[in-house]
Amino acid sequence: MRKRLSLLLVCVLAFGLLGSSVALANKTVTVWAWDPAFNLYAMEEAAKIYNRTAPDVTIEIIETPWDDIQTRLTTAVMAGQTNSLPDIMLIQDNALMKNVIDFPGTFADLTNSGIDFNLFADFKVGLTSVDGKNYAVPFDNGAAISALRVDVLEQAGFTLADFTDITWSDFIAKGKVVLEKTGKPLLSIVAESPDLVMMCLQSAGTWLFDEDGEVFLANNEALKEVIRIYVELAKSGVMVQVNDWEQYISSFTRGTVAGTMNGCWIIGSIVQPEDQKGLWGVTNIPRLETVPNATNYSNQGGSSWVVRADSPNRDLAIDFLAKTFAGSVELYETILPSSGALATYLPAGDSQAYGVPHEYFGGQAIYADITQYAALVPQVKYGVYNYEARDAVGVAIAKVLAGLDIDSALREAEETVKFLMDF
Amino acid sequence: MTRYKIGTFLKYLFLTIAAFVSVFPLLWMFISATNSSIDVLGGRLLPGSHLVTNFQNLTARANIPQAMWNSFRNAAVSTIASLIVCSVAGYGFEIYHDRGKDLLMRILLLSMMIPFAAIMIPLFMMVGNFNLLSTTTAFVLPSVATGFLIFLFRQSARYFPYELIEASRLDGLSELGIFIRMYVPVMRSTYATAAIITFMAGWNSYLWPLIIMQNADSRTMPLVLSNLIAGYVTDYGLLMLAVSISVLPTIAIFLLLQKSFAEGIIASAR
Repeated sequence: MRKRLSLLLVCVLAFGLLGSSVALANKTVTVWAWDPAFNLYAMEEAAKIYNRTAPDVTIEIIETPWDDIQTRLTTAVMAGQTNSLPDIMLIQDNALMKNVIDFPGTFADLTNSGIDFNLFADFKVGLTSVDGKNYAVPFDNGAAISALRVDVLEQAGFTLADFTDITWSDFIAKGKVVLEKTGKPLLSIVAESPDLVMMCLQSAGTWLFDEDGEVFLANNEALKEVIRIYVELAKSGVMVQVNDWEQYISSFTRGTVAGTMNGCWIIGSIVQPEDQKGLWGVTNIPRLETVPNATNYSNQGGSSWVVRADSPNRDLAIDFLAKTFAGSVELYETILPSSGALATYLPAGDSQAYGVPHEYFGGQAIYADITQYAALVPQVKYGVYNYEARDAVGVAIAKVLAGLDIDSALREAEETVKFLMDF
Repeated sequence: MTRYKIGTFLKYLFLTIAAFVSVFPLLWMFISATNSSIDVLGGRLLPGSHLVTNFQNLTARANIPQAMWNSFRNAAVSTIASLIVCSVAGYGFEIYHDRGKDLLMRILLLSMMIPFAAIMIPLFMMVGNFNLLSTTTAFVLPSVATGFLIFLFRQSARYFPYELIEASRLDGLSELGIFIRMYVPVMRSTYATAAIITFMAGWNSYLWPLIIMQNADSRTMPLVLSNLIAGYVTDYGLLMLAVSISVLPTIAIFLLLQKSFAEGIIASAR
């Protein structure tokens, strides 16, 4: 009897301990995100700021690559085990809408959570909302930049101003002069990657889907124009095609090309070689001249924070995001200098930290400039089948380069996407 | 004679080229581990002076000893467990007679055709419901009994002399005793082959640990490597060093068991 009693006591104690650890765990908000120098660092700083007012809350950050987050998310939702997911996840903007629509009820609706979405760049709010509801707190800025080697431009008789607010035909004409005088192409791109095409398309405020969500490739005049430009860039030698991402990065870190065009997060890769310090400049991207309302501003990449809807810490997680990423200029001021993590939180753009000259870019206040670009990026809806459509456009580009006419290539691409949408 | 010499020369030339093609990536990886990221991207083929820097950056960036230990523990436990279960199963399939065993074997072999991605979600549901997420048990369970290993052991058992079993029975050895004292020592090379295959599969396993090993402390080497290339800026020198470290245990185990491995492969193919 005594034995049984002691066993019972041990059990009660064990349950008690378990219970207390669960109670403690309720004060822990878990986060999945990738890149320690950028997103994880930002999250750690946010945790420090939040802990000033809520010292009993622990923000547990687990480094998880984006592809892995997507795999885990899909598996957990399909297995009905969403409790294995963290309270907060970082999601690529490209995939956000698809995940929200495919997995209804998984992400918390933040529309009436007290977070003021008017304080974020318009284009970013557009990417993180579905049917008028906000599902994510916008984070990093993917505003498109044209980063150029000013020293190479000078050798060809140009300045950075000659590449600012220009059209694509102007860019190609000047690029030919640079190539002729210095032997260096202006751009490099991973062969058949649709990134540049997507960037140009968004700069004209159009996308691969129309307003009703129908695939919009075969009759998309802006897209046809962009592919024409792509082909001309490639054939004139102003843009060189490389095989993979590593070669793309090394093309400008080794100085074999005189610039690159991408989301502003590419700055982290540009500033690696010490010997190119002070030789770079940043400006806006060229615009499409035949498309009405085309701009010199676009977006490439970027990600946002979502909250798990059925998390027991849901309200705490939302409060944390509201007071940091959606409410603290100080956070953005802190993370900018060492990570270059540019905000889409507009009040942060007025901060003095953004006006500080960047040595690598010859003293140019690039962050202030890029924040201005971000405010002017046209809003588009990426849509549920964004990845499928992007891939189809990539194939179409390869076919056009191989000699097929643009109309036929885009017709084929549209049929492929329609087939996948009906599948 | 001349024709013979030319033939030999061509043969060796072909083998040298083939060996170079297969060894070069490995060599390049080890060399790159000593270079800076910029040098790696620049295609430098000579050893550099960045090994220490890469090592310092790597240890600051990820908990390599923990990840190596996790990988080793998972792979070792899964190897031991599956060797025990599959060798008993393979032995039983061959030695004992039962009408349904061939049908059962066929079903088992069919299970090899099903891609892991297809059974991943139900497996995850089970592991989640049993509260086994981020544990070695969850890692090991799906690979304890595999059609391939059972098939390998059954093929080997086919050449195990039946007279030995009968003689042992007459001498009064129990069925388990026959298996442990007679079968296991004779089948050492098959065990070595199975050990290498299972250990390598466990060590390199990515998808399953990815979805179940959710704590930072339970992360295995392939997951750490995946983290290293997921940032906006990749340090290729550091990455190559991490990959070099991660292949060392599999190389060591292969070299240790190389002779038995070759014997085992030949034996099972007879």
